[in-house]
Amino acid sequence: MFRKLSALVIAACFLFSFAATAAAAEKLIIYTSMKESLIGELSEAFKKKNPGVDVDYQSAGAGKLMAKIAAERQSGKILADLIWTSEVPDFYNMKKEGLLEQYVSPVSSETLNPFGDFDGSFTAARLGTLGIAYNTRIIKKAPEQWSDIFNPEFKGAFGIANPSLSGTAYMSIALMVNKFGWEFIEKISANQGKIGKGSGQVVDDTASGELAGSLAVDYITNDKIRKGASLALVYPPEMLVVPSPVAIFKGTRNLAAAKKWVDFLLSKDAQAIIAGEGTLPVRSDVALPAQFKLPAPADAVKRAIPVNYIELMAQKEAIVKKFTDIMQGKK
Amino acid sequence: MSARGAGGLRGGGGFGAAGVILTLSIGILIIVVAVPVLLIFFNAFWADGSFNVRDVIRVLREPDTYQALLNSLLIACGTTTGSTIIGTFFAWLVTRTDLPFKRFMKGMFLVPFMLPSFIGALAWKMLFSPRAGYINRFFMDTLGFENPIFNIYSYAGIIAVECMYLFPFVFIQVCGALERMDPTLEESARISGAGLFTITTRITIPLVLPSILSGALLIMLYSMAHFGTVAVLGIENGIFNIPTLIYERIHQSAGSFASIRTGTVLASVLVVSAACIIWLQNRILTRGRYQIIAGKSFRPMELKLRGLRLPLLFFCVAYICFTIVLPTVVIFLVGGLKTYGLPFTLENLSLANYKFILFEHKLTRDAIFNSVSLGLGAALITMFAGVMISYVIVKMKTRGKGILEFLGMLPFSVPGSVIALGVILAWSGKYGINLYNTVWIILVAYIARYMAFSLKANSAALEQVHDSLVEAARASGASMWQALRDIVLPLVRPGMLAAFFLIFLPSLRELTVSIMLYAPTTRTIGVAIYTLNEDGETVISAALAGVALILIISGQTLINRFTESASSGKG
Repeated sequence: MFRKLSALVIAACFLFSFAATAAAAEKLIIYTSMKESLIGELSEAFKKKNPGVDVDYQSAGAGKLMAKIAAERQSGKILADLIWTSEVPDFYNMKKEGLLEQYVSPVSSETLNPFGDFDGSFTAARLGTLGIAYNTRIIKKAPEQWSDIFNPEFKGAFGIANPSLSGTAYMSIALMVNKFGWEFIEKISANQGKIGKGSGQVVDDTASGELAGSLAVDYITNDKIRKGASLALVYPPEMLVVPSPVAIFKGTRNLAAAKKWVDFLLSKDAQAIIAGEGTLPVRSDVALPAQFKLPAPADAVKRAIPVNYIELMAQKEAIVKKFTDIMQGKK
Repeated sequence: MSARGAGGLRGGGGFGAAGVILTLSIGILIIVVAVPVLLIFFNAFWADGSFNVRDVIRVLREPDTYQALLNSLLIACGTTTGSTIIGTFFAWLVTRTDLPFKRFMKGMFLVPFMLPSFIGALAWKMLFSPRAGYINRFFMDTLGFENPIFNIYSYAGIIAVECMYLFPFVFIQVCGALERMDPTLEESARISGAGLFTITTRITIPLVLPSILSGALLIMLYSMAHFGTVAVLGIENGIFNIPTLIYERIHQSAGSFASIRTGTVLASVLVVSAACIIWLQNRILTRGRYQIIAGKSFRPMELKLRGLRLPLLFFCVAYICFTIVLPTVVIFLVGGLKTYGLPFTLENLSLANYKFILFEHKLTRDAIFNSVSLGLGAALITMFAGVMISYVIVKMKTRGKGILEFLGMLPFSVPGSVIALGVILAWSGKYGINLYNTVWIILVAYIARYMAFSLKANSAALEQVHDSLVEAARASGASMWQALRDIVLPLVRPGMLAAFFLIFLPSLRELTVSIMLYAPTTRTIGVAIYTLNEDGETVISAALAGVALILIISGQTLINRFTESASSGKG
């Protein structure tokens, strides 16, 4: 019996050893709202290129990540070296508060830059697009206009991710309201639209048929389409394009490695991975896989609903609250 | 913790073995258990430098918190009623009737005990979500129903799922009572001419009522503080109970003062209601103890079911298939799908997801590794600490051991989310040591949470070791340490092993505590399943749940084998 016990003791020693190895190599921690399918592949490719650097990431909605960062700031130290989400106003905020390290990557001149006031505090590393994802088992005729989601076949079954959790959802709602006014949200609400959880869950619910359609992020939907889900993604003429900037936190202990990550992310290899996952790269010299029917990045920027990020910065709470109230029928 | 533990050892050096043990025991319990719980109350009632009840009431009257309190109560009452009825009925069926295959049935009814209910909730979501649930779709697509037959995202859904996984608490208590009950009481009533109805209402029910009530209160306690089912089925649709609201507040505004405040107030409510329930249960049990005659190996008379025998057998089998087999099968099938929403056809099913989570996906591999090593670590530490503390409680004649007993059993009544919150308050740097975002904070929380299990198992073992054995050793010139090492430890080893497994297995499927404490690389299996599901990775999360089920069930089977052979070897 004591042999068994000693085996357990040895096993427990593993517990101590893994804590020890964790501190060894140079290690980047990235907070990102990109899903596993994207960030996982990118971090593997990065590690292959930079053997000395280990990469760890926390993949969660932008809202959760910002809350985490706020808490970590209070306790004195931000755990992450980099942040890469789609909630652009957050980046303006962090820049204003002096949290971000300025770094103009030598590669950035080769990329599309959606920010007029670019100064290296954050760099767009992906152009997220959102469209209408619909379940092809339930919806037979593809929607073409945004107004098609007010149709009866979407009644009680159109989902939008919770804007307080998902950065892309918040950005899209802000853009929509900017373009079409609050009536747009009121009409969705009148058609008994639903607030989902994260941007991943609304797509999964659409794939399962729990929702007939949803406001969906490109690569999350395309990943499921590739796996055979009965889903399709369409873009109405007024496009929702949400850049996903990457930024380095000031005071990181791994500045050199963090810069390598930014360079890598903007490189042709990484952007090809991004395009391969079904979302728009920030480089025009990367081929878009035909199966996803993505618009060319430059076209998408042209069709995109224009936005003033600095104005949006102050409005988040108000927009989220008004949206939630309308959707819950409180007005 | 280790630093302070060592300090205690040095400080106690002057008193000899007994002093060391006592100081260490008190030190461990105070640091691991008492401080976190006290900090909760302190933060709840102490604001801006003074005692403040008005603020507590204000927090409780906020619509969200108030609603969560009501929901917790409503769900707990529903679950308690439902599972008490189910549990009592099945207990009666397998102990007092001539139902065929009773032994097998009894075993099957205990299976939900080891299944984590949040995995069950996931399975039921797949079966009964209104538009996509497989059963609802079958009724709507194939049988032409207009509307889904059941919406799992509702109070009824949550209560039904909780009942399925909690009824064994009543079942096991009532089974025990019915088996131990002296059948001559019923027989004499029958000889005196009483009918079955009179016997049941006047003799049987009053005799087993304490057991029913105590099982029901356990369920109430558990359900009030239950996180998993409500988190999976409720949060999305705005149904919160106390633990899920604490989680949501702490998680979303991570660490802001207002959210911690709300969390501590809610946690205090949970602790107080749990304390009331435990107190009530103790009263019922002490009163009831006289009434159940704890005789052994009576063969109670069996009711002949006659014509109902087969229908009831069919009912039991159907219940087991529906509540145990069906959800398990669904989890494994969905875990095999390429993506959620596809039909279960051969070309859509593969082992790819299982391969992915076991060999490729870093998140799930980390999670499995974390859960196993946390389980081993917590079980080992708690086992040794538990033996020591139980020794003080059971064997030593010192003042203050009552406090030890109270402290050790405290986590038994303190819900997991409260412990997690307390651990955050105590170990996130305010008092010198910052474990937040590391795996150690989960370990500390597990130790606090499972200490009571270890104390129970070890106390029971120690009570059987007679004092004279140690006295004899001491009289023959052995030192205290020698007596402990050579006499006591070998004798309590079965109790220690029991404690080890009682802690290792539950920590494998643990969600409530770790969900509040995890960081990027410190997800446990439960957290990974939950967050994957939340992220819309339903198939991956189902595959991981499947792997977890295999781990848990094989672990439990191994232990059953092991303990059976150990007890038969001894007897």
